Amino acid sequence: MKIEVHLSQFKKMISLSEKIAKKNMTLPVLSCLLFEVGKNNLNIKATNLDVGVEVMIPAKSDTEGVIAVPAQTISAFVSQLNDQDGIVKMELVSGNLHLSSARSKVIIKTVPAEDFPTIPRVTEGQKTTISSEALIKGLKSVWYSASISSVKPELSSVYMYKNGDYVVFAATDSFRLAEKKVKVDHSVAFDDILIPLKNISDIIRVLEDIGGDIDMSSNKNLISFEGQDVYLASRIIDGTFPDYKQIVPKGYATEAITLKQDVINALKVSNVFTDKFNQVKFIVDPKEGYFEIQTKNADIGENATKVDSALTGERIEINFNGKYIADCFQSIDADSVSFQLGGMNKPMVIRPASGDGTFMYLVMPMNR
Amino acid sequence: MPMNDFSQIWQTALIEIKGMVSPANYSTWLSTTKIIRESEGVIHLGVPNEFTKEWLAKKCHNSILKILRQINGNVRALEYVIIKDGERKEGSSKKTISSPTIAMPLQDFYINKEDNLNPRYTFENFIIGPFNELAHAASQTVIKNPGQTYNPFFIYGSPGRGKTHLIQAIGNEIKRQHPNKKVFYLTSEKFGSDLLNSFQENKTQQFKEKYRKYDTMIIDDVQFFSGKEKFQEELFHLFNTFHDTGRQLIFSSDRHPNVIPGLEDRIRGRFNMGMTVDIPEPDHESRTAIVRSKSRMHNISLTDEIVEFLSSEIEDNIREIEGIVNVIACQVQLKNRDLNLNEIKYLLKNSAKPKKNISVKEVVKIVSDFYTIDEDSIYNKTRRKEVVKPRQVAMYILREDFNISFPSIGEKMGGRDHTTVIHSYEKIKEDIKTNTLLAQEISQLRTML
Repeated sequence: MKIEVHLSQFKKMISLSEKIAKKNMTLPVLSCLLFEVGKNNLNIKATNLDVGVEVMIPAKSDTEGVIAVPAQTISAFVSQLNDQDGIVKMELVSGNLHLSSARSKVIIKTVPAEDFPTIPRVTEGQKTTISSEALIKGLKSVWYSASISSVKPELSSVYMYKNGDYVVFAATDSFRLAEKKVKVDHSVAFDDILIPLKNISDIIRVLEDIGGDIDMSSNKNLISFEGQDVYLASRIIDGTFPDYKQIVPKGYATEAITLKQDVINALKVSNVFTDKFNQVKFIVDPKEGYFEIQTKNADIGENATKVDSALTGERIEINFNGKYIADCFQSIDADSVSFQLGGMNKPMVIRPASGDGTFMYLVMPMNR
Repeated sequence: MPMNDFSQIWQTALIEIKGMVSPANYSTWLSTTKIIRESEGVIHLGVPNEFTKEWLAKKCHNSILKILRQINGNVRALEYVIIKDGERKEGSSKKTISSPTIAMPLQDFYINKEDNLNPRYTFENFIIGPFNELAHAASQTVIKNPGQTYNPFFIYGSPGRGKTHLIQAIGNEIKRQHPNKKVFYLTSEKFGSDLLNSFQENKTQQFKEKYRKYDTMIIDDVQFFSGKEKFQEELFHLFNTFHDTGRQLIFSSDRHPNVIPGLEDRIRGRFNMGMTVDIPEPDHESRTAIVRSKSRMHNISLTDEIVEFLSSEIEDNIREIEGIVNVIACQVQLKNRDLNLNEIKYLLKNSAKPKKNISVKEVVKIVSDFYTIDEDSIYNKTRRKEVVKPRQVAMYILREDFNISFPSIGEKMGGRDHTTVIHSYEKIKEDIKTNTLLAQEISQLRTML
């Protein structure tokens, strides 16, 4: 069997699918890419049984067939090739794949392909068309808030649902919560979806590659994203996300509005002096007119930084995990940020102080 | 071999299957499977994901089926079901993450999407006392034979007496005891807004079908249907469909159907067709039990004195009891020690009874209107019997509910001595204990304030 493909396309698709194929001790074929060779195209498949991806590139071939190639090996070779307009030639000779480009040549041992699983399709599900930019924006704005512990699968997920003209993304590890609304075409329709956190990075990478509008289908157990030449299927969690809106405070007792960059800088300094729990103390005193961030570490020293801000409400002194606060600024496009505090032991809400207000972040305080 | 011994059947089958596939395939695809259920010869095999489902269906469906048939001749077909993570990892120990950051109380906000019920409301945490044992007993009958004995089942009582808890617990219990019955809970407000949406989108037919597929419908707070004819009409049709086909309906309201204003007679009549029970004001023992149970839930210990104080102080509303125990729990956590009675009294003053600011004059007006006497006569020196009682009641309410000092009550009620006020207060306080009519009048007055 002889195959010819364009290097640039081949390289891109190998790197896209290679990251999904992981070392699997029980089923070695899962660490391979599956090449399905057709007359005019080459399908590359990879899966870790949680996410599956299929890409298609044009190819010239003399016969049809199926080969499983260790993903790391072929990726290491192909990623080194630099000849942008070049052609890669492949030939299967008695179980070995011979690859050659303009200058180099390798022989890779292949693996029996019959154990490679089928990448599932969404059956009996809803199908909708949605812009990949909207999905990427939404997922990236919240996914860092999801729980990394797998004790509660619904919390180690990103929750996605349609509300009016918006798709709402939410994630929480029960200590902080991020919510982002992304405006979409009103024809977009789907039932609530919980995407496992560990699949999000693969999904974002594939969506970035597809670009433009994509077809999204989902049923109770599976979600798929499909573009022109790329298909990705991910397991989804069949569960319920908590009705988090009940936790979001309706009002606040104290508010501080500051420049985002000022707080980021202040937190960077305080970060040096935090204890092992990343404890930072916020002192907001509207009467005296200051907002101060303090940290203290018995072994290193202490720090107090005042942040210029517009203040209203009552005086408050409250502790947070500084990491949780620092996390959210990546999702705030606006220059100024509003910190809304409800009182001791009550959550703090962080919102962009200007702009469209489609992002909301909630952090729980520390006990002492 | 009996069909109901699933795990045995599957273990036997797996031994044979093991010989047919490679060890790698066995541990990847088969080791995490189990038989979920069997109905009429169809075996439902639980698998962890779509990949496994596809692989099994494609590669060894026929051989698995053959093996199962050899073990049990009744097996006709094999289907694959994807099971949730939680169901597979049975008994996996729950790790509690110790973090100095306070966790959000998310566990309180899980609502099952399919039936809208909050799984937190169960009979295990429902406290039964003399005041609600009738409602509880009737609920058990409904659960035993949904749709048969009491249909509809109508529960009424003032806010905060546990109506929602009870009707949701009925729903959860029906689901548990009759797994094939579809239960759905919603508030009358949700019913209304769904109906409005269906009007706007011209989808009334879908609206009708949506609710008619359930076997038990629970509608909370039906008093909000008052005066809404369109909603009532839709409810009427829904009611008939349910009732005619022997499916259970459960309603709750803050008052008896006969006294809900703006209700069409045909709806009123239908509400009264089955069983109508009242949840009255909780008695003292029940309140004590509730305070104890709530404090146990928060892991705080309260002395008998405090429990006694709380249960005598908050009379009407269980939700209020829950609220004040929450506040105490929060303070205990903050101060890291138990609270004494005085601190709790202080807390209660601040949180439990947020009183409206109301002037003495207004109270007097309401009281005199209630007893249909002239407002001025209260301030006068007259000692006519029909005036004395309202005057004393007014003083009592001013003192008991608004904590106004005796001298200032006296001064504002026509320059009376504070001892007169004390006497009146004590007298009414004593009389309430024996005179139920008077107690009723005062509680009615309180609702008017």
